[in-house]
Amino acid sequence: MTAFSARTETAPAPRAETELALAGLWRVVVLNDPVNLMSYVVLVFRKVFGFDEVTARRHMLEVHELGRSVVWSGLREKAEAYVFTLQQWHLTAILEPDETR
Amino acid sequence: MKRVEVKLGLPVVAPLLDIIKRTVDDLHGGLAVPQSLQDLDEELGAAWKCELLDGQNEDCRRFLALFDSEFFASGMVAFDDDNAESVLRACAAIRLRLRDRELRGLPDDVLEGAGVDVGKLDDAAQKIYMCYVFLATLQELIIQHLDAAILEG
Repeated sequence: MTAFSARTETAPAPRAETELALAGLWRVVVLNDPVNLMSYVVLVFRKVFGFDEVTARRHMLEVHELGRSVVWSGLREKAEAYVFTLQQWHLTAILEPDETR
Repeated sequence: MKRVEVKLGLPVVAPLLDIIKRTVDDLHGGLAVPQSLQDLDEELGAAWKCELLDGQNEDCRRFLALFDSEFFASGMVAFDDDNAESVLRACAAIRLRLRDRELRGLPDDVLEGAGVDVGKLDDAAQKIYMCYVFLATLQELIIQHLDAAILEG
């Protein structure tokens, strides 16, 4: 056993706490903005999530009328990747813990 | 490869390019939409924003490349599988920045419903609003004609 691993056993690293906090399920939420076109938002949802036209349109209308829509839920790493891609398309996307499951 | 060629009215569009170029210059300094992510450490957050900004700058560069000497000779611009996504995103970024910096006086519902009374805007604001609408028109054109290519790409 190396000195490094012995030290790890006696003093758990802060990383473990971070990992614990990020475990579980996360939601990808898209927030409304007054600028992006409805057709653009529908296209982005279809492109990023592979939604069909009806599903993409339903989420777009949720964003437009309710101010937000949960577009995906799952593990943190994949949720982060989706948020990044949505942000590349200039949609306002956030992550929040999914406490419903 | 599907290609869409659009002939733009030079006397109308050329004056808007000053606004577009000025806004692209402004966008070099930051993201069109301030982005953040919960529970991201500082280093990763900085890398995240840096990568988004690099992508935004590249999209804007490709968009501005449409307005080359051929455009000034003929008024033609062309969209295809290769540039459609970049142009769409660049138009979104520029519109968001115009709204944030130059069209702040317009209420969200008026802007969303395209209910802007252009006659009530001063000359400078009219030009900026024209630019905002022009960019949306380009986006609509691309979505209408190249959506299949974008979804498959």
